[in-house]
Amino acid sequence: MDISRSTMDIAAACVTAAVGAVVCYGATLNGFAWGPSGPEPGYFPFYVGCLIILGSAGTIVQTLLRRNAAGHTAGHADADSFLDGERLRTIVAFFLPIVAMVAVSAWLGLYIGMGLYIFYALRVAAGFRTLSSLLAALAVVAVNFVIFEKLFMVPLLKGPILEAFGIY
Amino acid sequence: MGNFGQLMDGFAVALTAHHLMIMVMGVLLGLVVGVLPGLGAPNGVSLLLPLTFTMDPISAIILLTSMYWGALFGGSTTSILFNIPGEPSSVATTFDGYPLAKQGQAARALTLAFTSAGIGALTGVLVITLLSGWVANFALRFGAAEYFAVYFMAFASFIGMSGGSPFKTLVSMMLGFAAATVGIDTISGEARLTFEFDELIGGISFLIAVIGLFGLGELLLTMEEGLKFEGVKAKLDIRVIARTVAEVPRYWATLIRSALIGCWMGITPGGPTAASFMSYALGRRFSRRGRFFGKGEPEGIVAPETADHSAGSCALLPMLALGIPGSATAAVMMGGLMIWGLSPGPMLFTSQPDFVWGLIASMYMGNIIAVVLVLATVPLFAFILRAPFTVVGPLITVVCVIGAYTVANHMFDVWLALGFGIVGYVFKKLDYPLAPFVLAMVLGDKAEDSFRQAMLTSDGSPAIFFSNGLVATMMGLGLLLLCLPVISALIKGGRGPKDGTAAAPEGRSA
Repeated sequence: MDISRSTMDIAAACVTAAVGAVVCYGATLNGFAWGPSGPEPGYFPFYVGCLIILGSAGTIVQTLLRRNAAGHTAGHADADSFLDGERLRTIVAFFLPIVAMVAVSAWLGLYIGMGLYIFYALRVAAGFRTLSSLLAALAVVAVNFVIFEKLFMVPLLKGPILEAFGIY
Repeated sequence: MGNFGQLMDGFAVALTAHHLMIMVMGVLLGLVVGVLPGLGAPNGVSLLLPLTFTMDPISAIILLTSMYWGALFGGSTTSILFNIPGEPSSVATTFDGYPLAKQGQAARALTLAFTSAGIGALTGVLVITLLSGWVANFALRFGAAEYFAVYFMAFASFIGMSGGSPFKTLVSMMLGFAAATVGIDTISGEARLTFEFDELIGGISFLIAVIGLFGLGELLLTMEEGLKFEGVKAKLDIRVIARTVAEVPRYWATLIRSALIGCWMGITPGGPTAASFMSYALGRRFSRRGRFFGKGEPEGIVAPETADHSAGSCALLPMLALGIPGSATAAVMMGGLMIWGLSPGPMLFTSQPDFVWGLIASMYMGNIIAVVLVLATVPLFAFILRAPFTVVGPLITVVCVIGAYTVANHMFDVWLALGFGIVGYVFKKLDYPLAPFVLAMVLGDKAEDSFRQAMLTSDGSPAIFFSNGLVATMMGLGLLLLCLPVISALIKGGRGPKDGTAAAPEGRSA
């Protein structure tokens, strides 16, 4: 499953245009007229949203024109590839564990989340031995604990397990 | 030369063993804070502030300013080695610093950055020394319209001087503006663009966007490119450092131009971030080697670094002379001044000359100490680069996640940063410039506030932006910058369209 660059260009521009429309809609909730003492709160966001839609439309037109031109001259329209299946798998394999870490952190606290993530990354992705991965994960948690809780007094999210051990 | 005599008195105050030790400590703490993305200078200074209540004011302000210098230098270190700006003001340093480091010249890139940053900072302090009395009178004339004109100039210079697709630059910048307006509107008190989500009432911090777009987005790109990160090797050689320091005077034109931009943007509250972006854009336009910018060009490191640091030091001038902080960090320090029982403003110069001039003298010392210390810690950071990316990548990820959390202690921010990470990855691959996004996010609401405040004072008439020579000149310059691409296209005439070959600096990783 290859995704061509021009397809992605158009898809991204459609998303930004949609964001622009949402911004415009949100701005109308605040009123976007030019009142007696200058612009109302929604005035700036409304025209910012309009400019986003305008810029996105410009990108779409530019991409379509270029695709047609390339189709006529070179014979193949989508020479540039944005992403192929193998690269997509690499990205997903890197990104999903991060999402999992954040989900676990929101539930059990950041220290447990980061410990599990580092262990997974070193053991599975980097191929370290189980013992060294475990030690490295513990070291990362310990170093972060000292830096944030002790040195900078910035408490990170603890979660129910650490609190059960009396660590707040 | 009254200022000079007072400066000498100041050195007598600042040059004690006790104060020198405080400077070293502050700079080291600042380096740590600057290196960690998400734990920036404003954050670090506010964390340290409670510890200074028992100290005497002069020691306390020396500690905080030294930390500020350290954080400014530390931010450049991660920009160059990891392509993660530790501070928003060092975003522009990544454009050429990281490519140069990737070419195996990390030591040269770092030395260039620190040396030019040191020169910029010392220029800034020199300007403070010479102008502190006079600037009070000048900046008293600044109203909301003038503030808006300054911001307008910063934005216009970016649109006018960026390469690549103008549509993508526009979309990127406007998305930044939109993100900046989320939350409570400071003028009317209404919630904007929150769509009834409580998490969005407080707004979206630009730090979250920076961590996502630059930190996580770049990690995804590096992963996809097949761990090219491993190739970076920095042999730290004292001869490389010496040769690079000797190389710096060759960039005198860039140094002077950038220092001037930095001083101007620091005194007028454009701040270091706008200054470094503007200096980079102007450097690309006017340097003979401008077309190499974005590919590891030394001048592309010198320009933003010099401006960043000269603006960073000059930002303290309006804080001391007027009580108007020129940056977020200066605002935190100003809070400190008031807690220590001092009132910032023109009176401070007459009532507390020892304090003011001791502080200014300590700025000379602090910056020199910072350059030495940051060079001494380069081996430590170069060592980190030798580790394989499968190990470094997850560690940076953890730092980014913690950084996103510590901005406001919200897990929601971490999810937001992950979202920005995907946006950053897609945008970078499609050659959307990310710098306008961050610039608009940092300065967007300030620009809007000053515009609307100006409208309130003028009863809704835009004529206020051309009501006096000062503001009209600044607005005119901004408009000129905005039209620059059209003008230069007209001058070049029939040379044929470039069709996007002048890629934006962010396009390097595509």
